[in-house]
Amino acid sequence: MQPFTYVRASNVGDAVKALSRGAKLLAGGTTLYDLMKLRIERPERIIDINHLGELKHFDTSGERELVFGALARMSEVAADAGLVRDYPAISESLWRAASQQLRNMASLGGNLLQRTRCPYFRGGEPYACNKRDPGSGCAAAEGLDRGQALLGASPSCSAVYPGDFAAALVAFDAEIDVVGPGGERVLPFEELHREPADTPQKETTLEPGEMIVRIRIPVTPLGRASTFLKVRDRESYAFALASAAVALEMDGDVVRDARVAVGGLATRPWRARAAERLLIGRRFDESAARAAGEAALDGAIPGRSNAFRIELGIRTVTDALMTARQRA
Amino acid sequence: MTDVPFPNVPREDARQKVCGAPIFGADSPRPGLLHAALAVSTIPKGRILDIDTLAASATPGVRQVLTHQDLADLQLPGFLLGGYGFQNFQPLRSPDIAYRGQPIAVVVADTFEAATEAAALVRATYAAEAFCPTIDSPGVDIVDQADTPMGQFLTEPVAADADAAFAAAPIKVDIELKCPAQHQNPIELIATVAEWEGDTLIVHEGTQNAEGVRHGLARVLGIPAGQVEVISPFVGGGFGQKNSLQMQTALAAAASRRAGAPVKLVVPRTQLFQGASFRPASRHHVRLGADVSGTLLAAIHETDAQSSRIDFFPGEYAATSARLYGWSAFRGLHRLIRTDTQTPGFMRAPFEHPACFAMETAMDELAYAIGMDPVDLRLANDTILDPITKRPFSSRHAGTCLRRGAERFGWQARSAEPRSMRSADGSFVGWGVALGAYPGMMVSNVVRLTANSDGGVEIAMGAHEMGQGMRSVIAAVAGRKLRISPGAVTVVIGDTRAALQQPTAGSWGSASAALAIEAAADAMWKALAKLTPDGVVEGRSPSEILKAAARDSLDVETMVKPPGQPDDVFGLLRSGLVSRAGPVFDDCVSFSFIAHFVEVHVEPRLRRIRVPRVVSVADCGRVISPRTALSQVRGGVVWGIGAALREASETDPRYGGFLNADLAEYAIPVNADIGRIDVEFIDEPDGLLESGVKSLGEVSLCGVAPAIANAVFHATGRRLRELPIRIEHVM
Amino acid sequence: MTGTVTLSQAQPRRATASLSVTLMVNGAIHDLFIDVRTSLLDALREHIGLTGAKKGCDHGQCGACTVHIDGRRVVSCLTLAAQAQGYDVGTIEGLQGVDGALHPMQQAFIDHDALQCGYCTPGQIMSAIACVQEGHAKSLDEIREYMSGNLCRCGAYVGIVAAIEDVAARTQG
Repeated sequence: MQPFTYVRASNVGDAVKALSRGAKLLAGGTTLYDLMKLRIERPERIIDINHLGELKHFDTSGERELVFGALARMSEVAADAGLVRDYPAISESLWRAASQQLRNMASLGGNLLQRTRCPYFRGGEPYACNKRDPGSGCAAAEGLDRGQALLGASPSCSAVYPGDFAAALVAFDAEIDVVGPGGERVLPFEELHREPADTPQKETTLEPGEMIVRIRIPVTPLGRASTFLKVRDRESYAFALASAAVALEMDGDVVRDARVAVGGLATRPWRARAAERLLIGRRFDESAARAAGEAALDGAIPGRSNAFRIELGIRTVTDALMTARQRA
Repeated sequence: MTDVPFPNVPREDARQKVCGAPIFGADSPRPGLLHAALAVSTIPKGRILDIDTLAASATPGVRQVLTHQDLADLQLPGFLLGGYGFQNFQPLRSPDIAYRGQPIAVVVADTFEAATEAAALVRATYAAEAFCPTIDSPGVDIVDQADTPMGQFLTEPVAADADAAFAAAPIKVDIELKCPAQHQNPIELIATVAEWEGDTLIVHEGTQNAEGVRHGLARVLGIPAGQVEVISPFVGGGFGQKNSLQMQTALAAAASRRAGAPVKLVVPRTQLFQGASFRPASRHHVRLGADVSGTLLAAIHETDAQSSRIDFFPGEYAATSARLYGWSAFRGLHRLIRTDTQTPGFMRAPFEHPACFAMETAMDELAYAIGMDPVDLRLANDTILDPITKRPFSSRHAGTCLRRGAERFGWQARSAEPRSMRSADGSFVGWGVALGAYPGMMVSNVVRLTANSDGGVEIAMGAHEMGQGMRSVIAAVAGRKLRISPGAVTVVIGDTRAALQQPTAGSWGSASAALAIEAAADAMWKALAKLTPDGVVEGRSPSEILKAAARDSLDVETMVKPPGQPDDVFGLLRSGLVSRAGPVFDDCVSFSFIAHFVEVHVEPRLRRIRVPRVVSVADCGRVISPRTALSQVRGGVVWGIGAALREASETDPRYGGFLNADLAEYAIPVNADIGRIDVEFIDEPDGLLESGVKSLGEVSLCGVAPAIANAVFHATGRRLRELPIRIEHVM
Repeated sequence: MTGTVTLSQAQPRRATASLSVTLMVNGAIHDLFIDVRTSLLDALREHIGLTGAKKGCDHGQCGACTVHIDGRRVVSCLTLAAQAQGYDVGTIEGLQGVDGALHPMQQAFIDHDALQCGYCTPGQIMSAIACVQEGHAKSLDEIREYMSGNLCRCGAYVGIVAAIEDVAARTQG
């Protein structure tokens, strides 16, 4: 790990001012410090923002929107009774991530910026990686690709975006408030992450010096009949092979509104609007759920050993929708 | 002493452990401690042309950077079987690169942070050579084990003409199976604290083989073994990986000597994947022949197992599979595949788990081919004679294990047809059974037993505590033999300063310790008798006798060797070399057995496989420490679940080494993976030793994986012959 | 500059090697002068001499380094020591009463043999205490899920779950 200067910021303005080139914000540290140990992140300055009390609060009781400060901890938000009752998909996406220790540390804002678990990215030398070392190539392209992305990949990068919470956020049309040198702006969450294309090192649309301060989710009746389903190689404490955040609003047996997003399969949080269109206005049954799953995975491009995750993704969406239907 | 079962009492060191009090290797505090870190090779084979340490040396806090240019005087440790190293290769001895992840420099600094950063700044240029990193690599070298130097020690198990018997059998199973490379991954990282006191080297390191490390270090550093002490009172899990001299120990010692200060070197998890031993990948070709009534006529078990280019790590797969049933004809064959990796080695039930997976999968297939219940087929072929040597087993309750397990599990409610059982939530239910076996082995020992007039007893001997409950076993046997409370026994193990150390491996720990302590206690009673006027010790405690004789203490040293071993084993012991006896003894053959019954649930759509329930019934002879034995079996079942459904070490053949080289990517079971595990012990004393003990730690894992695979077949109709079984295999 | 470093005190650009950090551990104050990169785990183990918390991965993947910060369980390997200033850090060494009495969770781990080699045990116990305090010990499955961040390679999970169930039942009356 490279040496760095450690400073504590006492307000958002100071933090943003200090966020010069070579500086990184430290919230939970579960991604940043981890990647610093791997020498993948090499900040010259660490700005500890954990004392920005203004960003720690969250409120799920509002009439128009749910508001989460970027420093709210994953574990606390996951346990919020209102969220558990009215937006189970959001709560589940949080408590099915990582471990309770890591959820006690990790902030919501930091979680959104969690970086990929692609082993070629994390492995460092000798593996080529365009994300870690732009222009060096992609070792995963001809490598072991069981865990690589099927959606949104490019020849230069197939690294999966690993976050669970993001799948729920993208499904519920979340917005994020961002503060930067030019002031504050609102960004639809769906526009935060970029597909790799030929610049996989650019993972988000945040401008230099910008920080996420808030996450807002519009209140919706879809929340109650929602779920986040995560399939992985063991029962807990593992990243998703496939996941789905889904929500239904029913009118009898007919779907009035639907939300479908998938995780663990794509290079960025992945909203599946085609699946939603297929469901809306249609009588819900298992075949409709399956059709939605197929639509969600439409366009998936398999590699050598990850093709099973297309079918797994379809079934994950299907099963999640069946669960959501029971909650409707 | 075998007549009465032992009481179920807390493990001896439990209180220390729940307080975080045990001092593991890297916990040892030393004044003026420096920290070391390794730079490792990024290529799998070739030679270092140039190594640039300028940036590393210039890092603030760095004291020294050592490379092959500095440590060329290091010697080779010899390979574990006859030598001391997990491989006969010492990094930094030359510019040669034998595997990816091999250390190329060791950095010593004031802090861990500086050492780690500086190590990352070491840059090497290489002359790379072609390499074969996996057993599937094109052109990889395959040799018959019989043609290697190991061949003379390990004869293939053969009985009658198995090929002819197989050809003539009316019902045949002929299958190929595959087990992946796996890593032991004890949670305690391999770590060394090395310190010189004058010319004496003191090493604190979690090891299962303190004497081997001592002699290995002496050989590598070119100093007398008497100038090396190795201290390992607690091992944070070994599982075979810590059974020998590791690659970093001599580096830490050499660095400490040059720095003139104690040095701590904790090897990071990722470097351990590529720098310490692992379970070799293996392929198995199994043929079973039977008649229509289910009598086994022939079994053939051929294995191709991974070794390295450095050493021949011999396979002993068929030595166990041959003992599962009473077939009249058997043939085993081992071939070794020489990959460009570090040398693979012993990982809990190193051969026996894959061997049981192969043979017990085949047995299940045979049961279905005949249309016979899998338990009935196994019972029909039980035996009291070893089919290879025709000698009796020292004890064998495999049939009782199967019968009791079936009853406890409720096996009679099973419907044989695959996909015929469902759970309340709609999951497919599969019930599977398999038998496990593991050889009974023992090692010699020199025990120093001290009885004190205050009632306390101290035992110093060769053994290591790595979670199996060694202190509990020693205290229980000593307590019973000396008619004192086990709590009055102080156990000093894992310390070359206190006694000659024997490697604790091969599940021989309890049997060897019990054998040694029984002899030591007998010697103590004889010595005590001489202190009494009438020579009578019955009805008296050691402390009573000592007090009556006005003695503060009495010290007895006893040399103990297993049945059938020659006297020169003590010479080997003094040289830090392994001299195991068994499983074949003069008039018997010793194996432990276990029957596992497993329930799996397979979700109808998502196809996740879960193991809510396991019943295991073990025949390990007399159970000396019921509580730690129970934990051993539960732990073995957890390992079996990991082996069957989770764990594989993966190699990208373009790069060599291992890709999933951390605990996030290499999936060992977590708490949520484990359901109910019901364990029962036969607890019948074995006839070979006075203690009646047989092996337990490793047999517990044997047979779990095939029981799960057989249950998956029962649940899904899919016969899966390659581990691990993952979701994509049942979709 | 002891304690909190504010932005105005920070030196521009050039990275400093060491830092004064004051840590409150098990109620005792420790003034350290340490490398800024030092993790809380290494601060405890290498600088304060509390070796109960263990290093098993150094990347938040095993839970052996679990400690409490203001009563909440965290992995100390991914916590910068500097970050922990101003909080109460609790480790396994701080569980016993002044008379040496064990914490009920420690006793339950003994009673249920919820350990083998003892290496992951301090992390398991710190995690287990928090698991009950959080209210995540209401069923066996919930305990299993919320204890999955602590790997035990010896495979003592059955005993660990039984110990926590035992303590939770007595705590909740």
